Amino acid sequence: MEELLVDVVNVLVVLVEACAAAVIIIGAVWAFALFVWVGIRRRDAGAFVPVRLMLGRFLVLGLEFQLASDVLRTAVAPSFRELGQLAAVAAIRTALNYFLSKEIAEERRQVAEEGEDDRREAGPPSGTAGRGRTS
Amino acid sequence: MTASLADVPRLLAVAISAAALGAGALTLLVTRRPSLALAVLLDLLLAAGLLRLGSDPGWQAIAVAAALVGLRRVIGAGLRVGGRSWARAPSAPGPGRSSRADLRQLLTPTWRR
Repeated sequence: MEELLVDVVNVLVVLVEACAAAVIIIGAVWAFALFVWVGIRRRDAGAFVPVRLMLGRFLVLGLEFQLASDVLRTAVAPSFRELGQLAAVAAIRTALNYFLSKEIAEERRQVAEEGEDDRREAGPPSGTAGRGRTS
Repeated sequence: MTASLADVPRLLAVAISAAALGAGALTLLVTRRPSLALAVLLDLLLAAGLLRLGSDPGWQAIAVAAALVGLRRVIGAGLRVGGRSWARAPSAPGPGRSSRADLRQLLTPTWRR
């Protein structure tokens, strides 16, 4: 019975980790393509920020999956050495998740403030928008 | 088959690290903002580190991921405090500005100016 549980948990861990890897890979490849496109076509520093925000969101989602697999793995970790490694990995991922979420919120706030400034500088009578950045 | 499947994330992590270098260099060339280029480089390197951590959770991978997280915080804090760029230099006299002056501008700490 216990062996069956270990087998089931191991399969689930592999599945959840595959999901995490897929999310991170898709995010990284998409972000790289967008970085190249923005660098070649738009050549504007402000255009890089939304791409970084998008990559950050993908990384946070991948981290959530990885944390889920860590939680699953604790059910079948047989030795203290493995438990120690698991605790270290989970601590790093939790800290990273926290910092990434804070960075995303901070950058989003900065983008909103810059958009506000652009609108204020453009002024109501002229009606011409600034750079028109979206997050 | 299992070994080759386990190698896939590691190979992809190497590919993403190479992409990080390329994207960072491109960002630096286009925007001439080292802080932004460094942020782009570290974001993609972090993705590679997370992939590596998922495939091989040994102590070395853990140490590398922890170092990356710490580096991101330290560099981010440093760049926020002394943010500067090649593009906008307050003492720029005009188009004849040399790259040596650019370099001096970048390397001089903010508190010494």
